[in-house]
Amino acid sequence: MAAIPSILTRRPPGGRPHHRLDLDGSRDLRLLKGPWAKGFAVALAVAYFVIPGSLSETTLRTLCYCGVYAIGAIGLNLLTGFTGQVSLGHAAFFGAGAYCSAYLGSTRGWPFLAYIAAAVVVGLAIGGLVGPFAARLRGNYLAVVTIGLLFLAQHLFTNWDTVTGGGSGVSVGEAAIAIGPLDFRSLELGGLTYTFVQGMFWLIWAFVALTALLAKNIVRSRAGRALQAIRDRDLSAEIIGVQPTRYKVGAFALAGACAAVAGAFYALLQNYVNPSEFGGRIGLFLSITFVAMIIMGGVGTVFGSILGALLVEYGRRFIAEQGADAPLFGIPVEKGWLTTGELNGVLFGGLIVLFLLIEPRGLAALWLRIKTWFMSWPFSY
Amino acid sequence: MSGLLLGAISADAWIETIFSGVALGAKYALVALGFVVVFKATGVINFAQASLVLVGGYLCWNFAATWGWNFYLALLASMVGGALLGLLLEVLILRRMSGEAPFTLIMVTIGILFVIDNIVTAIWGAEGRDLPDPWGLRTYRFGKVDIAVADVWTIGITVLVLGAFFAMFRLTTLGLAMRASALDQEAALAQGIAPKRVYQVAWACAGAVGAVAGVMLASGSGSLNPALGLLALVAFPAMILGGLESPGGAVIGGIIIGLVQQLTALLAPEYFDWIGSGFEVVSPYFVMVIILLVRPTGLFGQKEVRRV
Amino acid sequence: MKKQPWLRLLALLLTLALGAAACGGSSNDDDDATATTAAGGGGEEKPAGDPEPTTGFDGTTIKLGVLTPTSGAASIIGKPLAVGNQVYFDRLNAEGGVAGKYKVELDVRDTAYAEATAIQEYNATKGGVLMYTQIMGTAIIKAVLSQMKQDGIAGSPATLDADWIREPNLIPLGGPYQVQVINGLDWYMKKGGGEGKQVCSLAQDDPYGDAGQEGVDHAGEELGFEPGPRVDFAVATADFTTQINQLESAGCEAVVLVATPLDASGALNKAAQAGFAPTWLVVSPGFLKLLYAGDLAPYATEHVKVLSEGGNWGDESIPGMAQMLEDLATYGGDQVPDPYFAFGYSQARAVHQVLEKAVELGDLSHEGILKAITSIDELTFDGLLGDYKYGAIEDRDPPRASTIFKFDAAAPTGLTAQEANYESEAAKSFDFG
Repeated sequence: MAAIPSILTRRPPGGRPHHRLDLDGSRDLRLLKGPWAKGFAVALAVAYFVIPGSLSETTLRTLCYCGVYAIGAIGLNLLTGFTGQVSLGHAAFFGAGAYCSAYLGSTRGWPFLAYIAAAVVVGLAIGGLVGPFAARLRGNYLAVVTIGLLFLAQHLFTNWDTVTGGGSGVSVGEAAIAIGPLDFRSLELGGLTYTFVQGMFWLIWAFVALTALLAKNIVRSRAGRALQAIRDRDLSAEIIGVQPTRYKVGAFALAGACAAVAGAFYALLQNYVNPSEFGGRIGLFLSITFVAMIIMGGVGTVFGSILGALLVEYGRRFIAEQGADAPLFGIPVEKGWLTTGELNGVLFGGLIVLFLLIEPRGLAALWLRIKTWFMSWPFSY
Repeated sequence: MSGLLLGAISADAWIETIFSGVALGAKYALVALGFVVVFKATGVINFAQASLVLVGGYLCWNFAATWGWNFYLALLASMVGGALLGLLLEVLILRRMSGEAPFTLIMVTIGILFVIDNIVTAIWGAEGRDLPDPWGLRTYRFGKVDIAVADVWTIGITVLVLGAFFAMFRLTTLGLAMRASALDQEAALAQGIAPKRVYQVAWACAGAVGAVAGVMLASGSGSLNPALGLLALVAFPAMILGGLESPGGAVIGGIIIGLVQQLTALLAPEYFDWIGSGFEVVSPYFVMVIILLVRPTGLFGQKEVRRV
Repeated sequence: MKKQPWLRLLALLLTLALGAAACGGSSNDDDDATATTAAGGGGEEKPAGDPEPTTGFDGTTIKLGVLTPTSGAASIIGKPLAVGNQVYFDRLNAEGGVAGKYKVELDVRDTAYAEATAIQEYNATKGGVLMYTQIMGTAIIKAVLSQMKQDGIAGSPATLDADWIREPNLIPLGGPYQVQVINGLDWYMKKGGGEGKQVCSLAQDDPYGDAGQEGVDHAGEELGFEPGPRVDFAVATADFTTQINQLESAGCEAVVLVATPLDASGALNKAAQAGFAPTWLVVSPGFLKLLYAGDLAPYATEHVKVLSEGGNWGDESIPGMAQMLEDLATYGGDQVPDPYFAFGYSQARAVHQVLEKAVELGDLSHEGILKAITSIDELTFDGLLGDYKYGAIEDRDPPRASTIFKFDAAAPTGLTAQEANYESEAAKSFDFG
């Protein structure tokens, strides 16, 4: 009996407990647990500043796209990974954000932070509008109905041509990308000029960090635990006092906002947007890409969303760039029977299946496993 | 009254449009039946059904056009081929995933879809092909109304497949086993039903029906091309409308969607031009969303019983 | 709150990292220096000199980009186009290359016929290529064009839109859709027995459809007839019953069909079933032999005319054709006769003429190519396509002749010329702005 109070005090008389032993809830909820996490955060911060100076324009641009998709994937993970609501309509929200850049930013000439804020508001609003309808549907029905959202969005984008430029698309070249004195189109710092892509890398990945932090803070709060309770068993959650509809709508709104911000940045990178990118067949492919990112990265982890975006987008670009000459069964791809485009499709589909079969919790779980192995060494088995 | 209803559109145009809507709906229904048989037995929404449709169509073309087989023999062979492919998918992949969340199962079938679609274009190319079906462009003529022979066959075959499903689910022990195992897998297991067999049969059926759907989509005025998978996307609203587990519902859903699409194309330019061009492409989804808001499990779907 | 040592470490490392990041920028002085060298390298002062190595040209090899769909449904067009590009340059390389010494290499990238992918592929390749020898698809070109202008990079479009004629960064070839339609209707009215007949159109509901309709309207004004209704359809329409009904009830006796192959064959099949048999004037992108040669063949032989350019496939009396067939046999591998192959081949030929001009001017850089485009008087094709007047951008004038083909299942490409190189006054009078 005497042993119990001694565990509850921070410093038991017989020496220090293992540093991994969490004695109260607040320690478990910390953002960065242990020295390794802190070291990793420092390394990331260093990489953030070093990368634009050391990689080629092409690679940097790919990393910019990775960042854009990461923002969207974090949003989808909040909805699918943490709340358990399947959405194949993510591209519609993404498109709404892209048109905020194109119309408000480029056509109407709003300042950067204003149209990004508008994208957040539009995303929240559409998510909040779709949410109550979606909350009525479950699982399989929800998945297919969200596909309907893509077709409705495409029709709207194509026919509302005073805003979207209609089927022939609209340029985003006139949108200002400046925060105060920092113009990210041609960043000037200390007498040095940086290219558009270098500036965008810093801007986008700063927003990735911001989104990740926000998401992380949501999931480790009361609201986040409510979302996960709904995912795990919504009826049980309701019984213990969580209102599923309210939280589901909230999750849809958040996911919508993230996707819209991602879309706004995407439009800036692309310099041009067209309705067909966000609706119909291509929109469905984009939505599927987001889902694939969170599956490969790790469903229900914020960090995994970023890993997934990096893997899927970087991998796709890598095949497109290097695939033509790569030997597949000993024959260079372009000389064999698959084109690089087809190879990309096969690998994309194949990886989704393989991850779900072998490691359904994605790269994040793989990382966790490695970490645990080292943490519990020499008793790792 | 008739003047008000018909307006600028002739009675013949109405009849032809409605018939083409039903024929188109029958094609969607054939695709949707493939979805339903897998869902009913295994609880999986099989996005890869679109690839089974594609593979079936190309197999039939390969047998009939390249190897010169008799068309009906080629159709049967492609059904066997489709069934084998369905079986293979079940044994290699889906079997290992049983009991997973709907989200996971959907994504597995989407992954399969990407792999198969790209391999199909790699093998047979992206060229459009004309299927050497015996119906061609022949039509039956009733007064001034032309009705395509291929469309009549499509409707007939859809009814036939629906009848076969009905007979299988209601009259055979296998069908009973499928229904039981879909209802409650553990209870079915306790009654001595082997779920493996049920799953295999369901996937094989889906493959065979997919092949028929592929051939019917490509016959008559249609053609065989990789975009057939897109048509299968329109079968989603059909399946959802009818309720995921009802074969009869899939057929009715398909016909509703076909009619809605054709009537939109007929009436939109005349009466509601403001809605924007190309609304017939969107209308199936529009109808689906509205019906689902009223009935969240479709017209004939079973209300889900949820337990804590 | 307790001061945390790792925060201090973070601050220190960030300072170091910022220093490292600064190395990635370029100082303004450097930029000016490069600009001067580039200007000094080319220019009229020393036209005979060898061009300086720049982006996409390392002194011996010229690298060109190709943005085309090689996967998905549109690869049916993209693949033969890319083979056409490749075969021409293979022959050229075997003869020594541009100006007899610079080899040409192609970087073919798959756009999957999606704007988003195309923009990414453009950005991924623009730092390594001198120009683009092929960009396929109207929507795709529109998507990358503003970026190309910003980067000062030129490219050749693989579509016949009239919008490209006045674009300084594009190297269009062939007569635009408007010209095809006007010539087709002029021929139909004067030689095809269409005098006083009702002419309608069945057109895609997008800018491509609009281009075809412009031709119909212009022909109506010039030839003095009132065009019948334009019936619209959405891309990938599942069933054309209602559209055919509308045309039939409007009493159309000739229909200009502005579509892509799958929709075109879908509409023709439905018309054949409905027993609706006007004269179909199909704008060139709507034709694909495989889709017309099946059940549709008898109907197509009787009622379909395809509006395009050039002569019959295999007609060795056309010098450009003879050369192309020889090259196809030598370098083409298993490529079958295909109008898209021929277009890709002609396109490479156009780009080759621009490259020769740039070498002549002594500047193989992005700016040098733009200058070469305006310095060429005429792009010639030896009869494969009509010759295209170049020069200053506002003086460009596309060929005004079209060939009216009839469907012929026995011909290698499925087409036989009914009226070759038909050049109407109405087509000559069309003003491209």
